[in-house]
Amino acid sequence: MTAGLKTIIALSFVLAIGFLLVILSAALFHNFLTLIVVATYVVAPLPNWIAGRCANPDDFIESNSSAWLDLGRFVTGFLVVMGIALPVLLAHCALIQVPAMVMSIIGGLLIYGTIISFSQFFKEEQDF
Amino acid sequence: MSTDRLFRFPKPAWLNSANTRTAGVYLAGAFFSLGFFFFIDASVFSKSPLNGSIVHITFVDWIPVICSALGMLVINSIEKSRLSADSFSYSGNGVAWKARTVLFLGFALMAGGLAGSVTVMVLKYLFKDYALRTVYMGVANVVANGLVMLSSVILWVSQNMEDDYTYNLQL
Repeated sequence: MTAGLKTIIALSFVLAIGFLLVILSAALFHNFLTLIVVATYVVAPLPNWIAGRCANPDDFIESNSSAWLDLGRFVTGFLVVMGIALPVLLAHCALIQVPAMVMSIIGGLLIYGTIISFSQFFKEEQDF
Repeated sequence: MSTDRLFRFPKPAWLNSANTRTAGVYLAGAFFSLGFFFFIDASVFSKSPLNGSIVHITFVDWIPVICSALGMLVINSIEKSRLSADSFSYSGNGVAWKARTVLFLGFALMAGGLAGSVTVMVLKYLFKDYALRTVYMGVANVVANGLVMLSSVILWVSQNMEDDYTYNLQL
């Protein structure tokens, strides 16, 4: 793998910034509701992994094996938008302040982008 | 496939690729999430101190959303190839008829959800002299149901793209 050490360093740097933003958005305003964003984005890639195990791509007789993949993608889309919609909801209902909303959205997107690009860079070569 | 098409303009080629299909499923999930959180926002707003009125979200407001979500579940869990299965001999007796009945139930649930949300908005919020922030709870209900319906449409269309693609894959 050509993209080795530098990629890891850059990704961990971005991940740390993302966590820093989310934790600051919680700690600066003494309101720890924004930590839900971290949980959402950490859970977000899981449905695709689970659905990828459930579906069997070699199965030609049972033609609906892609239903599991579709379900996983649907839940992933749901969770990603949830990570943005939840801080907006909390800010709209005056449960958190608007700066906390902005910080937690940016931090959450950084965390999710790190997870996605990590799994893209270090995907195992699947030729057999 | 190209000889028996109905319209004069052919389908654009990008509409049948696997990437468009994947993006459509992701987009459907995103729209469903947006609609769901619109309604959750309305019901959290109803209990927050910003809502200065005595009007609150009750179970009546929840019924349309529940109907829409159930309808979406029913519509999209039907195996699409069974809808036209009567011409094949292997598919048992009246499978297409059963599938169409269940599909009709799903569409009725979804349309009932949208119509019910409009009804709730008009009867509970618009007919009285409420402030705009109170009427927002009714509007959010309609928006949520509309987004769930849009999400269902996107999911349906992108699942129907599947047939040509898998056909090419298997050959």
